[in-house]
Amino acid sequence: MANTNSYLLKVDDLKTWFPVRKGLMRKTVGYVKAVNGVSFAIKGGETLGLVGESGCGKTTVARSIVRLVPATAGEVIFEGTDVLSADKKRLRQIRKDISIIFQDPYGSLNPRMTVGDIIGEPLKVQKGIRGSELDQQVAMLLSKVGLAPEYINRYPHEFSGGQRQRIGVARALALRPKLVICDEPVSALDVSIQSQILNLLKDLQDEFGLTYLFIAHDLAVVEFFCDVVAVMYMGRIVEQADSQELYHNPLHPYTKALMSAIPEVDPKLRGKRQRLSGEVPSIMNPPPGCPFHPRCPLAEKVCEAVEQKLEEINGKRHLVACWKSREH
Amino acid sequence: MSDIDKIISSKLPKGRSLWQDGLRRLWKRKLAMICFAVILIYFLLAGFIYAAELFHWHVGPIQWQEEVGRQYESPGWKHVFGTDIFGQSVLRKMLYGAKISITVALCASIISIVIGVPLGAIAGYFRGVTDEIIVWVYSTLSSIPYILLILAFAVVLRDKALFGYKLTGITTVYLAIGLTSWVGICRLIRGEVIKHKNREYVMAAQSYGCSNSRIIFRHLLPNVFHLVIIDFSLRFVSFIHAEVILSFLGLGEATRPSWGAMINDARIELSRGVWWQMAAATAAIFFISLALNIFGDALRDSLDPKLRIQ
Repeated sequence: MANTNSYLLKVDDLKTWFPVRKGLMRKTVGYVKAVNGVSFAIKGGETLGLVGESGCGKTTVARSIVRLVPATAGEVIFEGTDVLSADKKRLRQIRKDISIIFQDPYGSLNPRMTVGDIIGEPLKVQKGIRGSELDQQVAMLLSKVGLAPEYINRYPHEFSGGQRQRIGVARALALRPKLVICDEPVSALDVSIQSQILNLLKDLQDEFGLTYLFIAHDLAVVEFFCDVVAVMYMGRIVEQADSQELYHNPLHPYTKALMSAIPEVDPKLRGKRQRLSGEVPSIMNPPPGCPFHPRCPLAEKVCEAVEQKLEEINGKRHLVACWKSREH
Repeated sequence: MSDIDKIISSKLPKGRSLWQDGLRRLWKRKLAMICFAVILIYFLLAGFIYAAELFHWHVGPIQWQEEVGRQYESPGWKHVFGTDIFGQSVLRKMLYGAKISITVALCASIISIVIGVPLGAIAGYFRGVTDEIIVWVYSTLSSIPYILLILAFAVVLRDKALFGYKLTGITTVYLAIGLTSWVGICRLIRGEVIKHKNREYVMAAQSYGCSNSRIIFRHLLPNVFHLVIIDFSLRFVSFIHAEVILSFLGLGEATRPSWGAMINDARIELSRGVWWQMAAATAAIFFISLALNIFGDALRDSLDPKLRIQ
């Protein structure tokens, strides 16, 4: 990582722990280490994909970046300022430049507000735009995301899931952000609608020069969409590489298992599936050493004792956190 | 851009909000609408009596003091509900009692909503120490038996001056009821706000820099407010009952007829076989209670936004 200035967002050793309290005095008896030392960086105009199974901390990473949940430790540098230590005023400015597209198109729109109010609210609270100028901007945003501007006075429940997600995209774009965090934006949609939304996001990226942090659990979606992919497991990044490199040369056994879970259309290309045995260990009580070792087919003594750091392996921006992968 | 200008300046189709949606569903329920009409009659009666007193109209209910017949005349063509010990018309007293009851229940409801809803929203939204203080206050309040608490408030407030305004009669009653019964609505709103606070639309509002007060008033309260209305309709009945109980115990309105005072009077009369004053007051309470209960249930079924999704 030679030139840090070219990175729009740099997350360094981010930790978000949730205390677990018990008993009458609400004593802290332990922590759920939802995010436990995550580092990555995104260049302007690039798309970084964050993948992993449910509960691995992807969403918490996204929410910690914009301080929707308080981070425990670490740094989030956005355009040279640390978001986590920014004061109220600065945070408000930062929130103009980072927006989020949420997962659930039903839960992320206020059911009591009209589409115009929903999309216009960021403009209202951040820029004080009102009246006909606001209507005009909202109408333009609606047409940008492929909805008719006539829908401005309608309510979210009058739209389908795909249309609602377009409304969510329009709201996220309202302030012309630099970074858009897409928190599983298509996983709640039908497959046919998924591709529409993904294409929309791609088009908007080209038009506005957006940078995406794209969170997903579907590797096929991520391959199509992302420049760089980071794989998370139990609150840590276990492997990170350029999209093509990761798909053709996965090194971490967990990534390999994920890859082999992608359905292959051509029966001749179907190799032997590598199935994972066991379950994800309790995040309250993680195993010592590498968190993946209880399920890892290659695990050895060293894996049980010491956790390998995420390290570059072959000079192709390919990072992996596995003892076994260095034997290649 | 000119295209967009044209579209905006033209009349745009209006969407149907969840409120309109709920009211449509309510409108379709015949029984609920009948009950609503009954409730409306009570309110109009109370309003009419206020107007009559203000403009000195000479109509029956405000002339309840007039002796229209002999003592204890039984119900008949001349006096529909008979007369009481002073020869006053029981019908007139019953109609006048509607004013007292509606006033008390309405004012008490407003006081309890004004206290309970913001406190519940603040507690649920901010959590932490604020939440614990508010929960502690209402838990303490609700641990005291309800009637005892109302009685204590009524006794303490009686004949005291508040902002230079002497508290008498029904003012004491609705203040006592209102100040003691915000716990239920506060607890309800707190729970709902906690539930809604973690919904993604609230997170979205936070993510683009909405202030806390904007999130509470523009996002959270509109989404829980239907519960306030439902709670209001059901609580209204219990407030009417509370007024009756206080008046019955002699802490309510002493100089003007209320349903509670009528029942208190009728207590002694019953042993002499004079049942009509009791019957009139009870009937008045019965019909508004029934109407409000059925209407409240219908409101709950109609205004629940979850029904929209199904």
